[in-house]
Amino acid sequence: MLSMAWIEELQAFLHPEQIKRNESFHPLGNDGAVTVYPQTEEEIAAVLRYADRHGKKVVIAGRGTKRGFGGQREQADILLSLEHYAGIVEHAAADMTVTVKAGTVFGDLQRALAPYRQKVALDPFWPEEATIGGVIAANDSGPKRLGYGSARDSVIGLRVVYPNGTVIRSGGKVVKNVAGYDMNKLFIGAMGTLGVLSEITLKLRPLAKYESVVLLSFPSGDIHDIRSFSISFLDTMMEPVCFELLNPALSERLTGRPVYTLAIGFEDVENAVHYQEQWVERLRPKAAEMSILAGEEAAAFWRTFYTIAPNGRLARVENGVEAAVKIGVVNLDVLSILRESVLIADRCHVRIEAHGGLGHGLCQAYMHGGEEGVSAAIEELRQTAVRLGGYAIVKHLPLSLRQRVDVWGGKPSYFFLLEGIKRKIDPNKTVNDQRFIGGI
Amino acid sequence: MRKRPIATNDPHIQALARIVGEQAILYRKEDLMAYDCDGFTVHRHLPRAVVFPNSTEQVATIVKYCHEHDLPFLARGAGTGLSGGAIPLNGEVVISLTRMKRLLHVDLENRRAVVEPGFVNLKLTNSVAHRGYYYAPDPSSQYCCTIGGNVAENAGGAHCLKYGVTTNHILGLEVVLPNGEVIEIGGNGVPDPPGYDLLGLLTGSEGTLGIVTKITVRLLKNPEAKQTVLAYFDEVEDASQTVSDIISAGIVPAALEMMDQTAIEAVEAAAFPVGHPKDIAALLLIEVDGISAGIDEQINDILTICRRHHVREVKVAQSEEERARWWANRKTGFGAMGAISPDYLVQDGVIPRSRLPEVLREIADISRKYGLRIANIFHAGDGNLHPLVLFDASKPGETERALAAGSECLKACAAVGGSITGEHGVGIEKKEEMRFIFTDEEILAQTAIRDVFNPKNLLNAGKLFPTPGRCVETKQASSTVK
Repeated sequence: MLSMAWIEELQAFLHPEQIKRNESFHPLGNDGAVTVYPQTEEEIAAVLRYADRHGKKVVIAGRGTKRGFGGQREQADILLSLEHYAGIVEHAAADMTVTVKAGTVFGDLQRALAPYRQKVALDPFWPEEATIGGVIAANDSGPKRLGYGSARDSVIGLRVVYPNGTVIRSGGKVVKNVAGYDMNKLFIGAMGTLGVLSEITLKLRPLAKYESVVLLSFPSGDIHDIRSFSISFLDTMMEPVCFELLNPALSERLTGRPVYTLAIGFEDVENAVHYQEQWVERLRPKAAEMSILAGEEAAAFWRTFYTIAPNGRLARVENGVEAAVKIGVVNLDVLSILRESVLIADRCHVRIEAHGGLGHGLCQAYMHGGEEGVSAAIEELRQTAVRLGGYAIVKHLPLSLRQRVDVWGGKPSYFFLLEGIKRKIDPNKTVNDQRFIGGI
Repeated sequence: MRKRPIATNDPHIQALARIVGEQAILYRKEDLMAYDCDGFTVHRHLPRAVVFPNSTEQVATIVKYCHEHDLPFLARGAGTGLSGGAIPLNGEVVISLTRMKRLLHVDLENRRAVVEPGFVNLKLTNSVAHRGYYYAPDPSSQYCCTIGGNVAENAGGAHCLKYGVTTNHILGLEVVLPNGEVIEIGGNGVPDPPGYDLLGLLTGSEGTLGIVTKITVRLLKNPEAKQTVLAYFDEVEDASQTVSDIISAGIVPAALEMMDQTAIEAVEAAAFPVGHPKDIAALLLIEVDGISAGIDEQINDILTICRRHHVREVKVAQSEEERARWWANRKTGFGAMGAISPDYLVQDGVIPRSRLPEVLREIADISRKYGLRIANIFHAGDGNLHPLVLFDASKPGETERALAAGSECLKACAAVGGSITGEHGVGIEKKEEMRFIFTDEEILAQTAIRDVFNPKNLLNAGKLFPTPGRCVETKQASSTVK
């Protein structure tokens, strides 16, 4: 343990209660020999400056929901937790913008905005546990991405602590801004490999006056029926905030019906929501069963929905392993991915619950099974996605499997640019080393 | 282009002519004059040559040649940019993309289209309108500006309040890097390609990181219903407060535009007058769209807010024809300045929306201070101001005064936590003003990224970032902005 003396040095800029030595390590990896809890931006900068100068590796975390997302190490030197760096810095209600510290729990932020009838237009998984910083760093989004857009459409400004401790601002506090490069984009979805997000400024949207979810289930299981209904509905002038297909396994869990089910969400004034529900009714195939969840029922549906993904904070899984895979394809190819998810589950003897948005092209597949089966299923799903011109990345997997399965699915032809950006900003590979594509 | 044999001793021009053909290169001074500036005409400089490639391969070959021979070069679309991004400050080889103007692919089921960079913005909407679709970013120059240029500048428009700017609608890019290598990002329009968001970084990089040769864009379905409101106010203050209240009431209008008295005087004297009263202080043009069953409620709320703020007259467009007239009047607003002033300079500051009243007052003070009229015609809904400084370049010193007044307007925007440009870009025009909002370290952080893509800095050098050490460029402001 002679090498651990350096931990004492952290006390030069942190109180003893902000430093915690770790004895055992998490099966998802991405741990630290020591966990530190900075409470100010200066403390974040001091930790990074120290690490960068002394060749220490830093893993960045919010509350740990994404601990199983990327990363090749059991532990780095320092786990920098932003759990105690939380709170709203400024809510300019009249401007519909908010600036918030990265460690703020997403749900807390939404609750603080709700009295003003405002919200951040994002629908990440585990909103009551995930932090806004983690959501932005991992570019998380849910089914409502169709109507809301994604993090890159909401984030208008950032304060980023670079690995050498310098604070760099990008963007600003205004909703429209083209001054200089759009540096915000670099840090969104960068998995913390370019620095620590300190403060995030987001533009806000009004809370909808009314919402509903139409559940349309297809007992025949005929993908062609779903496809032709979807094409005709998406060609209308209706404005669903989500148009998400659930595979039978997921539908069973959420609706009790083990058949393909479309969850079509509407948010608008009440008249307009009902009017759109009638359009679904008018266009639906006769064999499809339709039910409507309104108001609180819809909200309850979504609360459950956002907790179906594996969560890095929860205790270890019994009987096998869990995985989450994000698949990107061109919108309607989501149908092929979901159909494959059913076939692959059978072939690989794993359970796969999957959903995907026919209006935006992203799917999520949650797997549970033996290690071999899960690895094989990820590989097959990836092959399907690549055949369709898309990709598959693994958002959650135990460390032991991450060291065998390529989380990011190979490098793009322009990888040298990604590497070049990393080298400019983090030449010593201080932050989240090997957490991202191609071992960046 | 005239067919004349290449008559020059410049070996580089001869080499470039071999790449694109003798009919696709300009190099005589009289031919180059048209390319010495873009929509920002205060600075001018002749390019070395202008080449007109017709394919990605030709662009790549030209770029490779320039890279190998250390020739500065830049890309140009329709030349409508307002900040000087396409001005060949260093005698660049200008790569005009106007011959690469094909619509390559339309896929309405997946709501996307693939275009070449020279394809004109409005043509895309026109190509899919019969099926009820459109391309959302709508800069005022959309009838002639190219989508490649829109990507370079991250162009906005009147309707980006609700639908976002160019970057929110780009799904994929093919890019020729400054060394001639061709890369493809986002491929056929798959969302969130793994890796850093290079689409987001390239969009709005003002042609300094690469040359876009193919663009996959998102298409939107037309809204079911649309209502447009015109409101006249006797006090600017009341109009600005109305803007604030509409936004904070939770209404997201598709567009929310404002014009002040000087601007109204100009548009009424120009090609598309609509009979606005001459004595009002400001007007608002408000458009709401969406599901028809929800529109009336929003319109009623808007009318109530207008009345609460002493609107003199407010009306809802009764026909598509009336709506179109109101919009033509607004969209040609900049050009209309020509009807009341020999020259004008347009600025592009952005402010938090609630600061509108005080910043407009400050702009009025700046106008008095410099003895120059300033018209305001702008995207009030997202706080994107366009102060138009009116001047006469033939009067000695007036151009300099106009530039100084414009810069001071930006300082006022920066002082309330705003930005120096919302949609026109930094270019040459505002590069020193970057210091109003960024520290030296933050500017270095950006140029470090440029060095990854453009290490020799041959591509569009001298734009976007202030000259280190503040050695301000004082190329004489030659003439006018029309």
